[in-house]
Amino acid sequence: MKKIISFLLAAGLFITSCKQDLDVANPNAPTTSVFWQNATDAQQGVNAVYSTLHRDRMVLWQWFYYTVRSDEAFSVSPDVAIPNNMDRFLITDYNFARTNLVYADNYVGVFRANQVLDNVPNIEMDEALKARYLGEAKFLRAFFYYNLASLFGNVPLILITSKPTDLPANATREQVWEQAAKDLTEAAAVLPISYSGMDVGRVTKGAAYALLAKVYMQQRKYAEALTPLQWLVDGEGKSVYNLMPNYRDNFLSTTENNAESVFEWQLATNLSEFTPEDTQTPNQNYGSPLAQFLAPLNVGYSDAEIHRWVVNEFHKDKTTTGARDPRLTASFIYDSTDVRGPAFTQVYGQTFAQRYGLTGGNRNRVWLRKFSNDAETGRTSEGFRSANNYRFIRYADVLLMYAETLNELNRTADAYQHVNRVRQRAGLPTLTVARPNLTQEQFRSQIMHERVTELAGEGHRWNDLDRWGYFESQARINGLIQRDPAFTTFMLDRHRLLPLPQRDVDINPNLNQNPNY
Amino acid sequence: MEILVPKSIPIATKTDQSRWLHKFTFTVTAIILLFGLSSQIIYAQQVTVTGRVTTTNNEGLPGVTVLVKGTSSGTTTDASGDYSLAVPAGQENGALIFSFIGYETQEVPLNNRTTVNVTLADDAKALEEVVVIGYQTIRKQDLTGAASVINPEAAQKVTANSVGESIQGLAPGVTVRNTGRPGANAAVDIRGVASFTNTTPLYVIDGMIADANTTINTNDIESMQILKDASAAAIYGSRAGNGVIIITTKRGKEGPAKIGVSVKHGVQQLPKLWDVMNSEEFAATQRQQYLNSGATPPASVALTPPTNGSVLHYTLTDTDWQKETTQLGSLADYNISLSGGSQAGNYLISGSYFTNEGTVVGNSFDRASVRVNTQGTKGRITFGENLVLTHSWEERPLLANAFYDMPQLLPVIPVQSDALINSAANNPGGWGLGDPVTAPSYAWNYIAMTELFNTTHQYSRIVGNAYADVKFFDWLTYRFNAGVDAGIDRHQNLRTQGNWVLGQAFEASHVYQNRQNFSTLLFEHTINFNKKLDRHNINGVLGYTQQHTWRDILEARRNDLVNFGGEYLTTISSAVGDQTSEGRILDDFRINGTLGRINYTYNDKYLLTLTGRYDQDSRFAAQYRNAFFPSVALGWRISQEEFLNAAWISDLKLRASYGQLGIITVGSWDYIGGINNNPRVVFGADNQTIAVGAYQARLANPDLRWETRTSRNIGLDGSFFNNRVLVTADYYHSLSEDVLVQLPIAYYLGNLGGDPFVNAASLSNRGVEFSATYRSSENPFKWDISANFTTIKNRIEDIGNLGEGINYLQVGATRSQLGRGVGEWFVVETNGIFQSEEEVLNHKNSKGTVIQPFSKPGDIRFVDLNDDGQINDDDRTFKGSPWPKLQTGAQFNAAYGGFNFNLQLVGVFGQTVFNDVRRILDSYVNTNFRRDISPWTTTNTNTSDPRLGLNSEQGIDFNNRYSSDRWLENASYVRLRNIEIGYNLPATFLSRLHTNNARLFISGQNLLTITKYRGLDPDVTSASILERGIDAGSWPASRVYSIGLNFEF
Repeated sequence: MKKIISFLLAAGLFITSCKQDLDVANPNAPTTSVFWQNATDAQQGVNAVYSTLHRDRMVLWQWFYYTVRSDEAFSVSPDVAIPNNMDRFLITDYNFARTNLVYADNYVGVFRANQVLDNVPNIEMDEALKARYLGEAKFLRAFFYYNLASLFGNVPLILITSKPTDLPANATREQVWEQAAKDLTEAAAVLPISYSGMDVGRVTKGAAYALLAKVYMQQRKYAEALTPLQWLVDGEGKSVYNLMPNYRDNFLSTTENNAESVFEWQLATNLSEFTPEDTQTPNQNYGSPLAQFLAPLNVGYSDAEIHRWVVNEFHKDKTTTGARDPRLTASFIYDSTDVRGPAFTQVYGQTFAQRYGLTGGNRNRVWLRKFSNDAETGRTSEGFRSANNYRFIRYADVLLMYAETLNELNRTADAYQHVNRVRQRAGLPTLTVARPNLTQEQFRSQIMHERVTELAGEGHRWNDLDRWGYFESQARINGLIQRDPAFTTFMLDRHRLLPLPQRDVDINPNLNQNPNY
Repeated sequence: MEILVPKSIPIATKTDQSRWLHKFTFTVTAIILLFGLSSQIIYAQQVTVTGRVTTTNNEGLPGVTVLVKGTSSGTTTDASGDYSLAVPAGQENGALIFSFIGYETQEVPLNNRTTVNVTLADDAKALEEVVVIGYQTIRKQDLTGAASVINPEAAQKVTANSVGESIQGLAPGVTVRNTGRPGANAAVDIRGVASFTNTTPLYVIDGMIADANTTINTNDIESMQILKDASAAAIYGSRAGNGVIIITTKRGKEGPAKIGVSVKHGVQQLPKLWDVMNSEEFAATQRQQYLNSGATPPASVALTPPTNGSVLHYTLTDTDWQKETTQLGSLADYNISLSGGSQAGNYLISGSYFTNEGTVVGNSFDRASVRVNTQGTKGRITFGENLVLTHSWEERPLLANAFYDMPQLLPVIPVQSDALINSAANNPGGWGLGDPVTAPSYAWNYIAMTELFNTTHQYSRIVGNAYADVKFFDWLTYRFNAGVDAGIDRHQNLRTQGNWVLGQAFEASHVYQNRQNFSTLLFEHTINFNKKLDRHNINGVLGYTQQHTWRDILEARRNDLVNFGGEYLTTISSAVGDQTSEGRILDDFRINGTLGRINYTYNDKYLLTLTGRYDQDSRFAAQYRNAFFPSVALGWRISQEEFLNAAWISDLKLRASYGQLGIITVGSWDYIGGINNNPRVVFGADNQTIAVGAYQARLANPDLRWETRTSRNIGLDGSFFNNRVLVTADYYHSLSEDVLVQLPIAYYLGNLGGDPFVNAASLSNRGVEFSATYRSSENPFKWDISANFTTIKNRIEDIGNLGEGINYLQVGATRSQLGRGVGEWFVVETNGIFQSEEEVLNHKNSKGTVIQPFSKPGDIRFVDLNDDGQINDDDRTFKGSPWPKLQTGAQFNAAYGGFNFNLQLVGVFGQTVFNDVRRILDSYVNTNFRRDISPWTTTNTNTSDPRLGLNSEQGIDFNNRYSSDRWLENASYVRLRNIEIGYNLPATFLSRLHTNNARLFISGQNLLTITKYRGLDPDVTSASILERGIDAGSWPASRVYSIGLNFEF
């Protein structure tokens, strides 16, 4: 028995002596408890928010909802989910992945921004830099809510770092706009007017004012929109921004972050990327797949193309020398991108005539050129990694917004000069010369025309139509149907907004689906 | 995260070489072993012994096994009990062993006699059969928990990739779902589903916790027990909630060296393919489809073919994609073993080679393994080890599923054609991809993919344990056991230039490698005791165990392969483009466990078992790290009672158990929020700076806890008529609580990287298990039949606080709702086809709103369940369950003379499967059509297939609604799982070959399946627990014809 006892004791000692430590550290990543300690952490936190802008649904499918769904563009993609859900208002699945992911990616950005806004204030660091970081995060959060309000409307407002148990109720579309306005106002107060060196591409005071103006204008709060626009055009912004002499410079990867750029999404090609998922690996795609999806037939997917009426808009004015509006060439690839016609129009290394012939259905097709890389020599195709930056807000847009706002505030005469600048850059006669003494109503129509010719395909058309009241009367819808038959299936009480992801509505009892879905 | 990316052709050459080398080495070894040993066999005169075996009533006893002790020479008695046996030279003074089920085995010394008559007595110890229940082996009669013993012979009759696959239908309560893919594991669950995230049972191989996946050779298995209730499994505590499968491998037996050889060859074929249209039929149908919608048909099906260009017209092309993609598979399984032993020790060395070329091109699996099991005793100390080394190769394209794509592909597209070579379109190989305008198809050209993206996987693994037993007293033994399961996985993708699907983006050629090292180390100290005092018997085990599991991954990739003389160089360094690398520790966790079990019996009549385990696991936060898993079980052997003294009852035992088990499904650090530093942003005037971003991407739940399964079991074991009839029946009820679930969290939380786990749910499973065996061995025609059935009813008892009105998890077309089963179908109901415009207009809600105004005659009518005048997700309702109502299995064995016969049947009834492949085909969107389709037309109204048209029409698009009962099918089936006919070569013939016994057999597996299911195989294996019954192109179980030979000398 003694033997056993001594053995048991020995065994017990052995066991105790080699008892394993159960605190196993994660060697792969710091935990949340040791992060958010210094200025580097703050900067990386802010950078993560920017990273959202090149997530592919943000770049790609959001553009489809802003553009293809409007009367500017349409889709005959053989992937019929695209025309049905993104063009023709035939939405049968409220969990349609691409809709959900546009919504989700904006909230990924919100989650990232909220972490910065919750944690960076507690970091001991240079106060000015800290304020700027917080301003950048606020701007970006406001931008994500701008998209959510524009497309989905009554989304929940998440303003602190999410917890899995959060079950927020819908905010109204107005509340979402208001939150965006609040963030942008605070951001504009602290953001610098410009950056230099390795910080170029970060958001500026001007970007905050421009987006703030958009937010107000979408609510038709023109008086409020005036202040930020004044800063941009008549105030300090005047010395920062200008129109590029050459319109096409806004769409070339060789002339990025130029004087006309107000809010520009920074993109670059990563040859060894294999995923657009920016949390999976550093070998991610920080280029844009948009060029691949929009490129003409047999070059890219041709998943969206431009209605012919848009081209016709450009023919309403000639330049002062009697030539065709040069913006047509910069904007579209179609049979007459070259004014001499299909035999001279180059489409990625071949003439239009060579590629598509002179007869048949392809002759009348129009593809957007603005995001393309066809200017690069030897380019015969696109890809998922376009480095061509997306200038989401250009100064020309700001000038037209300013003109529109002044006109809405019954200052039509004051508005002329800003439209003139835009027209003059394109070589057109000024509006003062071409169409003097327009009434407010006439000027409003003129602005609609000007925005099409200047900004076609740049992702603002849906909001323009919304702001101009097109989705609030059947008469206006009938007008749209003339330009885009897809609006035949548009229902006034439903399709102004997209359905919220059914998954979220299913999970959260406090969340209601958008009306009539 | 899987980042398995690209490969191509030359690596196959290399793998083939190494595989061939392994085959060669194996064959040479086998030959040397065979000849080396056979040369030692001495040619000598034999003596024939005859005699008769009788019962105590002096009746001749047929079927008795007569064996020369210490050899494997033997025979059986004939119908009158007579036998005749050739006794090898040198054994004239040996002994004969007479054995027969239900009778006491007798050993009779020969003493140079040539006639030996024997009377066999009824065996009082027939129930001495033992069961391995984890750290202990007990007599079956003392078992109080629910455990099934699998007959390894039955399991090995099936040609299987994995242990799981081999046991389908053999034991009640064990659900096995198989696929036919080489190298694929079967899905095994025991007594339903106790967790939403993991239903895999714990495998214990010779005491080592190690997954018995396809890298483990099934031929080495000596015995297999399945622990199903808490009492049986509680000794494995925190990980036993899904049941435990204990595998014991073969060891050498006392006696001279024996060599066993088995060889099996087989062919595999797919029992069924989709019946889709040929080119001519497809062209006519697609033309009609476009015309019906007022559109111009694509040029590939036009009546006037284009004269030239990349489009090959249907009259020139008629591709049977399924035929091109599938093939006759082949199987071969070679095993050789050398074993023997004495009182002081025993040994077994075995080598095996298994190879399986799949039924789909580009899929194969090969496994070579060597096992060494030895044991030696010196005095009070016994040492031993069980060790297997395995190496497996797998060729398996990672990205595509042939069963999803091949029926969809258009017959008007050629597999490959010189006319399609187009470097500008990144199609240097001229693969048939279709064309967006002239032949739209977005299915993958599987053959192109296997060529352009070659993927190989290699798994090297060592599994085993070593132990030392110290016998302090007859009744007390200490054991130190050390176990290891370690290995290296290697994956390589070789991506060469070209596309395999229309519209595929350009991807640089590259080589990618992924290497993972893993190891689990186990150290255990246990004390076993067994003490008998008068009528009290107490035995049990106490122990302490430590486990450490670790896995890391290293990935590297480099673009731009270099090609010399038509062959690509395939090492990372040989490529010349961009390179990337990744590496991290995937798992690092530790478990400490303190365990104990006490079995007490009084008078062999009343039984009590107490089991408990205290586990500590590093995968939880400190306050949740410890848990105790207890169980108690009682048994009552009624047959020992005076009042039940019936001769026909051999044994009858009632048993009951109660206890708790755990399940862990979390990763090593899931409870702590981690910072993700992958985000990148481009800054700088010329986009020169790639700046690093970091934040918490994935929400974490610091309150992760164990899942616990409280299990109750009542069972009855009986054997009757001298153990000819064996019956086991169990009723079980288990309640799983704190079930970890990745609750699908809302998008507005902005979470990435997967939904966090929450201990939110509770599930119950209950049902009845029954198995019975009848054995008839009195006559020369011997047979036995076994049958079992299982019912499983699971119910969600709690789903967690998801907010008011939400009591379900919604995944795809399934809903797991409080009070219902897991993953029931939740879809919109259909109600026939509109036969006329009038019917469309009459399909109104109570307020008179036309529900489907866009539909046309020939479109599907959906039920507006909530009467709101439109069809949407609010109209979904429960439409069946993926869970079978009844699962059954049956085995029949018969033997007459040298012939024997085995038949296995599996029947599964009452489950509903979502046929997702049929959904794709019947949606008529850029795919081929089923040949037996009968679309509605004004003259063909009696059909369930809607009208042909393009889904640019809303009515057509609506017909294809995913959430719809149109895709649900009854998948009940009965399957002839295995049929085998064997022949034992006669002893006279064998003695000339110096072989003790030899058996030749042919078998057929999955020869016949009776089912109404319209897909390829109703035995659907879905990877998802919540979407258990979805058939998104499950690889069907193959039909296997094989022939084999086993012999021993």
